[in-house]
Amino acid sequence: MASVSSPVHGAAPGRLKRLFERYPFLPALVILVVLLALNGVFAPNSLSFRALTGLLSTYLALMLLSVAQAYVVFASDIDLSVGAIASLVNVTIIVVMQQLGGGVPSVLLALAVGLAVGLACGLANGIVVAALRLQPIVATFATSIFFTGLALYVLPVAGTPAPAVFWRTYGGRLLGVPFVVYLALGLALVLYLLARSRLATQLLAVGDDAQAAYQSGLPVTLIRIKGYALCGLFAALAAFCITGDTASGDPLVGGKMTLLSVAAVVLGGCALSGGFGTAIGAVLGALIIGLINSLVFFVGTPSEWQNLVQGLAILVALMVGIMVSRRARA
Amino acid sequence: MRKWTAYALTSVAALGLSAGLAAAQDYTIGLSNGWVGSEWRTQMIDEAQAAAEAWSERGVDVEVLVQSANVDVPGQIAHVRNFISQGVDAIIINPNSPTAFDPVFAQAKEAGILVISTDAEVSSPDAMYVGIDQKGWAEASAKWLAEALEGKGKVVAINGVAGHPANQMRVAGYQEVFSGYPDIEIVNEVNANWDQAQGQQAMQNLLATYPDIDGVWVQDGMAAGAWRSIMDAEKTGEIAATGEIRKDFIDLWVENDFTSGASVNPPGVMASALNVAVFLLQGRELAEPADAGQYGNALYLPIPFIDGGNVEEAAAELDGKPGYYSYTSQLSIDEAEELFK
Repeated sequence: MASVSSPVHGAAPGRLKRLFERYPFLPALVILVVLLALNGVFAPNSLSFRALTGLLSTYLALMLLSVAQAYVVFASDIDLSVGAIASLVNVTIIVVMQQLGGGVPSVLLALAVGLAVGLACGLANGIVVAALRLQPIVATFATSIFFTGLALYVLPVAGTPAPAVFWRTYGGRLLGVPFVVYLALGLALVLYLLARSRLATQLLAVGDDAQAAYQSGLPVTLIRIKGYALCGLFAALAAFCITGDTASGDPLVGGKMTLLSVAAVVLGGCALSGGFGTAIGAVLGALIIGLINSLVFFVGTPSEWQNLVQGLAILVALMVGIMVSRRARA
Repeated sequence: MRKWTAYALTSVAALGLSAGLAAAQDYTIGLSNGWVGSEWRTQMIDEAQAAAEAWSERGVDVEVLVQSANVDVPGQIAHVRNFISQGVDAIIINPNSPTAFDPVFAQAKEAGILVISTDAEVSSPDAMYVGIDQKGWAEASAKWLAEALEGKGKVVAINGVAGHPANQMRVAGYQEVFSGYPDIEIVNEVNANWDQAQGQQAMQNLLATYPDIDGVWVQDGMAAGAWRSIMDAEKTGEIAATGEIRKDFIDLWVENDFTSGASVNPPGVMASALNVAVFLLQGRELAEPADAGQYGNALYLPIPFIDGGNVEEAAAELDGKPGYYSYTSQLSIDEAEELFK
């Protein structure tokens, strides 16, 4: 090891290495802080409380979707249907709320139905991938088309409005504090608990070496199905946030977010090959994507270059993250 | 690594500096466009930027900030939030959804920002719409077609994307017009997704199925495709069909003497909206309140029309422009002022 051959510099890299192994999201955190600072430099208002709350309510959906993606990536799987699940849940709860009149009980019932739909989609993915042993990337691509079809069946045209009570709650305040702040705190708590759960460890173990996990007596198939189920649940939660922020139904709303969620997971320090990563990293990754998009605008990039610069910036962030963590782990 | 980071930071700083130099404006207006799939949208933004510059002749400095990228609805909501953070005076948006912006427009209004949508209407009571009436746009060309056919004949329609709000309004428009002509029969309606090649394919199929049709109602770029099929079938003289407004097509139209008519959805709508916005920011009041349309917040602009009578003028106006350039019109500052008290 490096510390043996060069004892002078050995201590610091060793400590750094342990730090990165314990907190794989550290590079993402550094990038995030840098991006926040740059946003603040170019648009001082973007660090105001209102703007930060706006950032949260815009990207909470992507954060949740990235968390959903992270849990399947842990086990070396992938889910290309998270966006479609979110769309399906979005239109389902919109239609349920509309049919039942839009009062508080109907909203709560719709949310329960939404969670059930998300869970069912996740289970379906899990069974197709883990039990039927289809390639995850192709199988979930196929189910994404299926879920999109269902969403188009439920609501063929974008546009049915959500009840005011729903989006006014999401965009409003509770005891003077924006509602999304409570949601973010709730998410942090859930992620903390999940990170210490047995399932998270099992998923990582399966992702690290499925054969070894199987031989040591872990029910690999069941664990992978559970991972997809968890993914479906988080995709449903993401759909709630999309619905809160857009106040309407759209059968295609989540489609573009699928690959962003994969990017966020990788930006957050998870290995796509599985076995290494954290859900909080995926959350940071989602925020990085959001901040890059605003920064590209705040620095005054001409409109015809905005897509290109966004893509480049995400690429750079990926490279920086990977270089830092690779050096630290080497 | 460190050197590289330093380089990245310097270039970002340089970009920022160039943005910061353009200071001391009277008004800052944010333009948001959520789809970059056609030249029409590019022209829309270019014209709006030119309109902003034109205000300097009146001693008003209008700075425009543009966010234009292929984004989903949440991505365009982020556009609006960025504008709010930057503290713009007004936001002009070509929205990706009619209803999804209600919450964020409410936040913009709370922050004292004027919000105007253009090209597609929005349901938000906190915004107003400045643009053409998509239904009226379809009605004008349907009416032209019905008259060109002298009120009788077999007609087919080639539509855009099923379920798209603008498409639905257009379909409602032509159906309403044709229902007023009892001798006009709509024999088939198909969707070709606003795609020129699909429009050509659809027209080929329709000509094969119904060799005796008299008229075609077709929208936007699909019209160029449909007319190609009509030319291939050597039916240019027998069929009347609606057209479109790009230079390529208008040249073809003049060259081959099509029986065609085109409602103009001018890319200048965003420039018109900008001129209206500046007057509103100056505290001027509209002479007639903007209360048209299904959401009661629309200010409809006149819809120019090109037919056999003026197509050569249109062609002359487009002379020297690239082939994808659309025939356009916009409210000049003076014309916009006439809308105000």
